[in-house]
Amino acid sequence: MAAEEAPSNAALRALQAAARRSAVGRRLQGDVEQVLLQSIVDATVALFDAEASSIAIFERDPERLEFRVAAGEQGAGAIGLSVPPSQGIVGYVFSTGQALALSDVLSDPRFDRRTAEKTGYVPRSIAAVPLIDGQVAVGVLQVLDKRSSPTFSLRDMELLAVFARQAAAAINASRVQRDTTLLIREVLRSIAGDADDAAIEVLVGAATDGLDRDDEAPFWRLVEQVSRLRGMSDRELGLVGDILDVVARYSGRPGRR
Amino acid sequence: MTEPLLPAWSEPFVKEELAAGLVRASRVDRIDREWAWGGSTGAGITVAIIDSGLERDHPALHGRVVESVAVEIVDDEPRVVADDAGDLFGHGTACGGIIVGLAPEVELVSVRVLGADLRGKGTAFLAGLEWAVERGVQVANLSLSSKSEALFAAFHEVVDEAYFKGLALVSAANNVAGASYPSLFSSVFSVAAHAVPDPWRLYYNPAPPVEFGAWGVDVPIAWKDGGSTVATGNSFAAPHIAGIVALIASKHPRLTPFEIKTILAAVADDPRPVSARRHASRRRGA
Repeated sequence: MAAEEAPSNAALRALQAAARRSAVGRRLQGDVEQVLLQSIVDATVALFDAEASSIAIFERDPERLEFRVAAGEQGAGAIGLSVPPSQGIVGYVFSTGQALALSDVLSDPRFDRRTAEKTGYVPRSIAAVPLIDGQVAVGVLQVLDKRSSPTFSLRDMELLAVFARQAAAAINASRVQRDTTLLIREVLRSIAGDADDAAIEVLVGAATDGLDRDDEAPFWRLVEQVSRLRGMSDRELGLVGDILDVVARYSGRPGRR
Repeated sequence: MTEPLLPAWSEPFVKEELAAGLVRASRVDRIDREWAWGGSTGAGITVAIIDSGLERDHPALHGRVVESVAVEIVDDEPRVVADDAGDLFGHGTACGGIIVGLAPEVELVSVRVLGADLRGKGTAFLAGLEWAVERGVQVANLSLSSKSEALFAAFHEVVDEAYFKGLALVSAANNVAGASYPSLFSSVFSVAAHAVPDPWRLYYNPAPPVEFGAWGVDVPIAWKDGGSTVATGNSFAAPHIAGIVALIASKHPRLTPFEIKTILAAVADDPRPVSARRHASRRRGA
């Protein structure tokens, strides 16, 4: 980076502090997006009386659709699973933005079973709708096997689209906060309209350096531990604060690095 | 050749030798299905399937695939190349199978605009559509659409070009909220699903943007790897209309897209129950 492009040290320090605080805040608060999405699949399963419902979110490097939440008796196996966006029903719905449902899936012995089998459950019917955030698809909501009917009706598809809109809104609302780097980049872009992308990336890199979530790093382990204290009473929290105070004072003593 | 004295678009109205071009086959009230497509097989009509590809040897396609191309993005520039990837999802084959089921002698051209490197790329879809228009097919089935506002003008331009060339673009309505192109443009045949299990049942909706209804619920379809399944979605309704449009275009080769729309409107099914229909016709004195 050329010297004249360097942000002032004070500004960079402020950015670094903001980035750190944002990352810590997210850890302490828990994943709001996850909670919202989970509530949507829970509601979907209940309303459709279905064996399972899940939401896959598009992630990059490598490009994949990752099942983040699931509900229903047969849903759990899907969580954490990834499928390529160029494969299967979920991939098609994501790639085209077109909702569709397949029933009688088992009648075709070659039907994309591999993914289904990984979840430990091969469905007879699937309905899938895209999650559209603005102009782009960000994921897919799917329902497997309605217990009351072997197929999905047009009304089912409409209803599912309503849930998909909620999920997309939840993702939109929390995505920026979810990604500290994105947050800083978006803020920089909005205040420095004429700065080129490369210059902004340099600033983003400098501000978030060392923030890469290495869960083994002692500091992040501590954040994780603190986040588990959320359920404590004020009195208990006061006690934890006192202990931390003592530790902090000890660490500030001369002679300690 | 002498320069015309009038703007070109007035010529057919004023020049006797061009007047024959304005003589239409029939008035709307004399149109019925027998006239519209009775005896037609779709022969002589090429239908482009702009989708996930076509499985050439799938039994449901009866060997009607004559050409397969795919859009490739190289250095951010889309280009169209010959394609032997088949069908990545099964969806294109499903649409092709429905069309061949209604119009057994059409020729199918696969324009694959989906694939690992084409994810969500409206530009790939646009390039595939442009290619189909330039190639000179008579019908194109589009079971997808783009939400990209940035591509609005480009889609508008190619859809108009298709319309002026007499190419019928049959587009599945997107049932997710928000604008999507080209399914919302007025010149396309925009189709949504109805649930009556009859491939020939079609509805006309005079309240746009979705003008036509066709079977799209629990439709038996061809699927990947020679397979089959049962599916629901607007994208399975559109090929029913595309197949019927191909039959009409085959029997009446000079018809324009708006004339074909008029014919579809004239022969559309009455969605009311039989008793309600009788009552209405009595009141009309019919």
